[in-house]
Amino acid sequence: MSKLLDWYRSPKQRREMLTIASGALIAAALAAGWLLNALQMRDVLMVAAAVIAGSDIAIRAAASLRNRHISIELLVTIATLGALAIGEYWEAAAVTFLFIFGAYLEARTLSHTRKVLQDLLDLAPATAVVLREGQQVEVLAHEVEQGETVLVKPGTKVPVDGEVLEGRSAVDESAITGEPFPEEKMPGAPVYAGTVNQAGLLKVRVTGAGADTTLARIIRRVEEAQEEKAPTQRFIERFAKWYTPFIIILSGIVFLLTQDIEFALTVLVIGCPGALVISTPVSVVAGIGRAAKSGILIKGGEYLENAGKITALALDKTGTLTEGKPRVTDVVALQPEPVLAGGSAMMHSSNPPSGGQGSQWTAVQQEVLRWAAIAEAGSEHPLARSIMTEVEAEALGTIPASDTFDTCTGRGIRATYNGHIIGVGTPELMAELGVHVGYEAEAHLARLQSEGKTAVLVALDGFVLGVLGIADTLRPRAPEMIRELRRAGVKRIIMLTGDDRRTAEAIADAAGLDDVRAELLPEDKLTAIRQLQNEGHVVAMIGDGINDAPALAAADIGIAMGAAGTDVAIETADIALMADDLMKVPAAIRLSKATLRNIRQNVAIALLTVTGLLAGVLLGEVHMAGGMLIHEASVLIVILNGMRLLRV
Amino acid sequence: MKTTLRSKELTCPSCVAKIEKALKALDGVQDATVHFNTGRIEVEHDPETVHGEDLVEAVRSVGYESRVAAF
Repeated sequence: MSKLLDWYRSPKQRREMLTIASGALIAAALAAGWLLNALQMRDVLMVAAAVIAGSDIAIRAAASLRNRHISIELLVTIATLGALAIGEYWEAAAVTFLFIFGAYLEARTLSHTRKVLQDLLDLAPATAVVLREGQQVEVLAHEVEQGETVLVKPGTKVPVDGEVLEGRSAVDESAITGEPFPEEKMPGAPVYAGTVNQAGLLKVRVTGAGADTTLARIIRRVEEAQEEKAPTQRFIERFAKWYTPFIIILSGIVFLLTQDIEFALTVLVIGCPGALVISTPVSVVAGIGRAAKSGILIKGGEYLENAGKITALALDKTGTLTEGKPRVTDVVALQPEPVLAGGSAMMHSSNPPSGGQGSQWTAVQQEVLRWAAIAEAGSEHPLARSIMTEVEAEALGTIPASDTFDTCTGRGIRATYNGHIIGVGTPELMAELGVHVGYEAEAHLARLQSEGKTAVLVALDGFVLGVLGIADTLRPRAPEMIRELRRAGVKRIIMLTGDDRRTAEAIADAAGLDDVRAELLPEDKLTAIRQLQNEGHVVAMIGDGINDAPALAAADIGIAMGAAGTDVAIETADIALMADDLMKVPAAIRLSKATLRNIRQNVAIALLTVTGLLAGVLLGEVHMAGGMLIHEASVLIVILNGMRLLRV
Repeated sequence: MKTTLRSKELTCPSCVAKIEKALKALDGVQDATVHFNTGRIEVEHDPETVHGEDLVEAVRSVGYESRVAAF
C-alpha cells in the first residue's frame, strides 16, 4: 500500500498509471457498448475514464489558477466538465485520455531533444583519484583542490582540467573539441575534464575542478544558449499569453450566439496553442545540442536564427585561412655543385650526411638551409624561427652556434663561423657585405616575391649561395572550406587582412577567393563589414586576434576558432569552434540554416493545424475528440520534426 | 545560496509560471527561475530554512518530477 502511495506521489509514475487506467477503461467501455450492447455500463466506464484522466489535469489547472495563470489544462478541464454535464461521455473520456497520453509522449520525445545536454552532464566523472601524502584517495571530482595531483588510469575519464606531469597517452577529446582523432599527451600538455584517457597512466596537476572546468563552462554555455529565447520564440510566447484567454472568450461568444454547448466546448479544446508554443524551442534545443556535439558552441537561439540567415562572410587571413606560422616553402641552391668544399666537409664531419635523409630538400638545398641556420641560430626574428623550425622538422642535424653575429634591422643578419662570413637578408645587406647578386638570384627573388612570399638571400664568403622563400602557408582544407561555404549558400566571401597586397592575393588565389581587401587597419576591417551590411547582407566574421575585435563585434555573427582552453573565446564569440578545424565553419552555417528552416516548418505546421481545426470546428466538420487527436498529433509532429536536427 | 534542480518533464512552457510561483511561495526562497528549454530550475534560497528536498517537494506539488543537480 505504501508502495502504491509512493507511486501516486511521483507525478510521472502517477500520470503513466492514470493514462493506462483511463485507456483500459475506454477500451472496456467500447467493448461493453459494441459487444454487449450494455449502453449504461459503457457510459459508466467512460465517465470513470474521464474522471481518472481528468483528475490530474484538473489538479494542474487548479494549481495554475491559484497562481493566476490561465493554462491549457484549464481549457481542457472546462471542456471535460461541460461534456460530462451535457452527457457527451465518450467525448469527455477521449479528450482527457488523449491529453494525458499526448503529454506522456511529448515528455518522452522532448527528453530526446534535451539528450545532448544530458550526455554532456554524464561526461563529467563523479570521482577522482588524488595523490595525498603518497596515498591514492578517491574524492568527489568537484572537491579536488587546484594544484593537487590526480591519477588518471587508462580507459577512464579525466575528472579535472589540468596539466600532464608524468606519463604519455592518447586522449580522446572528441567530447570537447568534436575531433574524432585522439590527441597525443605528454608531460606539459593540457588535459580537459570529460575526455577519455585511452592508453597509459597519467599524473595530472589540477588547474580546475567542478564548475571551474572547460566542460562545465561548455555545459553552462550550451544551457544558456538553449535557454536564451530566439526572436521567433519570444514573439510566439507574447502571442500565446493573449491567445489562451482569447480562446475562452471566443468559446463564450460562440455559446452565446449558437446556444450550442458542445460547439463552444470544442472550440475550447482545439484552441490549445500546444504545437505553436513548443515549435521554436524544440528546434533551437535540438539545433544547439547537435552543434555542441560536433564542437560548435552557438551562443543562443537568436544567434542560431541569425547564423541561418548569413549571406556574406568575412575571413581574417593570418591564423584563419593560414596556419599563422611562417614556414620555409622554397630553397633555391644557386651553386649546382657544393663548391664550398671546406664548409661542406666541416658540416659533414660534425653532422653525418644521413641526418638529412628523407628530407624534401636535396643535399645542396640542405647546405643552403644549414648555413642560413648557423647565422640565424641566435636570432629571435620570426623569419629566423621559421628557418630553425624547418631545420628541426627536416632533421638536418644539430646546428653549431656562430662565433659572432649581428642583426642589421630591416635587412637581415651577418655572422661568422670558423672563419667563414655568412649573410642572410635583403639585396641591401648583400651590397653592404660586398656580395654581387647575380641575374639568376634576382630572378628568383622577384619570382618568390610575386608569389607573396618573403624572400631572403643567403651568402657565404662573398658569393650568393641561394635564396630562401618563407611564407605563412594556407591551411590544407581552406579551399575545400570555401567551396563548402558557397555550397551552404554564402554568396559573398571576402578576405580581410593587414598584410600586404601581394601576399594577400597569393593566399586568396590558393584558397579560391577573388575578393581581397589587403593592407587594412582594424578600423578598415570594421568599415568593410559595415559596407557589406549596407548592401543588405547578413554578415559573419571569422577571426582571432585583437585586431579583429572591432570587426567581430560589428558583424551579425562573430565566429572564433580553436576555442578549446581559451575561455574568452567561449564566453564572447557568437559561435565558438572548439577545434582548430576550418570545416566546422561551413558545418555551423549549414546547421544554423537547417535549424532556421526547421523552426519555420514547425511554426507553419502549428499555425496550419490550429487554423485548419478552428475552421473545421466553425464549419461543424470537426468534433471534440477528433479535434483533440489532430491537435496532439500536431504537437508530436513538431517535436519529431525538431528531432531530425539531431541526425543532420 | 543557489540550488539547481533539473526536471525532464517540462513539456509546455505554461508550466514555467506554475513552478516558479510554487517555489517562490515557500518561506526562505528569494527567487526561482525555470528554464523551459533545458528543464533547469534555479532557486535562490536560504539554506537554513529551505533544503533541496523541500524545493523538489514544492515542484512535485504542482505536478512535476525534479531532482537536485550539482551544476
